[in-house]
Amino acid sequence: MREWIRVFKDGLSIENPLTVLMIGLCATLAVSTQLQGSFFMGIAVIFVLVMSNVLISMFRKFIPDEVRIPIFIVIIAAFVTIVDLFMKAFFPPIYAILGIWIPLIVVNCIILGRAEAFAYTNTVWLSIADGFGMGLGYTILIVVLATFRELFGTGKLMFLGATLISLPSGYKPPGILMLFPGAFILFGLLQALSRKYNEHVTRKAR
Amino acid sequence: MTHAPTKPITLIMSVVVTCLVAAAGLAATYAVTADRIAEQDRLAQEKSLKAAMPDAASFEQVTDEDALAAAEASAGDVKVNGIFTAFDESGDEMGWGLRVGSRGYGGYAQLVIGLDTSGKVTGVSVLSHAETPGLGTKVMDSVEFLAQFSELPEAFTVADVKAVDSISGATKSSRAVKNGVTAAGAVYADVLSKGGE
Repeated sequence: MREWIRVFKDGLSIENPLTVLMIGLCATLAVSTQLQGSFFMGIAVIFVLVMSNVLISMFRKFIPDEVRIPIFIVIIAAFVTIVDLFMKAFFPPIYAILGIWIPLIVVNCIILGRAEAFAYTNTVWLSIADGFGMGLGYTILIVVLATFRELFGTGKLMFLGATLISLPSGYKPPGILMLFPGAFILFGLLQALSRKYNEHVTRKAR
Repeated sequence: MTHAPTKPITLIMSVVVTCLVAAAGLAATYAVTADRIAEQDRLAQEKSLKAAMPDAASFEQVTDEDALAAAEASAGDVKVNGIFTAFDESGDEMGWGLRVGSRGYGGYAQLVIGLDTSGKVTGVSVLSHAETPGLGTKVMDSVEFLAQFSELPEAFTVADVKAVDSISGATKSSRAVKNGVTAAGAVYADVLSKGGE
């Protein structure tokens, strides 16, 4: 169990997929313009990541080394399509927000990266921890990024049609925050912050 | 790697089996969700038609292939994905709802444009779009922007539509809606007004 918690925590801090491993950035910067979209994107990524990690670690002894990548991709693509169809059928308002980004989870390097670097060489139990840790690490980062971008880029924060916070009407939102340059700058700042936090974590661990 | 190379047949079989299992899983998911997805699409279309023509009581899809082909031809770059005849409560024809696909910044936006029998726009609603969140979405979600089209005169011209205020920072998305409305006007002038509905 201690090992499980350690693997889980690594995904959140010292092995965070976004700020430390720096994988899956493309879709992250693109989606993080809206809080609600980012939140559900995070949920979808957690689901696909945990499921693909479980399946790949379960069958890792039967997957030949030479063809592991095509097999990983088929498994991941299948789960993403399942999420896509289920969202379309049962959560149309959320699908309307995420729509085109869902299929892109297939090529999100976090999922393939974890399949290759973790699930393929570890037990099912630990792979679940890795899936949840990495998925949650991703979700937290993208939600923080989106909160900043939406609040200061549009002047208000929406969630499922309800306005959570809105800035005074005198505030003129800088458009750059909604575009990629703003995303990069903000992401750099977040990364610096998380480095600081991770230093603190590793010092405590020693 | 230290182990001996895997036999080719094992390689092939492992990929084939994975694909078969994945295909079976997807087929099962599709079977569960297909009806609901079709139902959701129909509901969304119904809702958009109602939003574009609030006074209409019912709609009936136009199936006349010649009319649809003619509409497609006069719409130019905009795709005509369906024409619906609108009826009021007493069953009289009161206009049309046009479902069009118009190219925006992120691919085609599906719009429904309501026209009354005189060719005046009764409303514009957005069925689906893939515009940039926070920029293009301002166009698609803006009630004020879409409402401007209802103020266009009967038999409006391209210039009338061009004069409608766009949303700054989202020129391409604004243009997608404008092109859709222009195309609807052209379809009305060439096809619908001539009774070929």
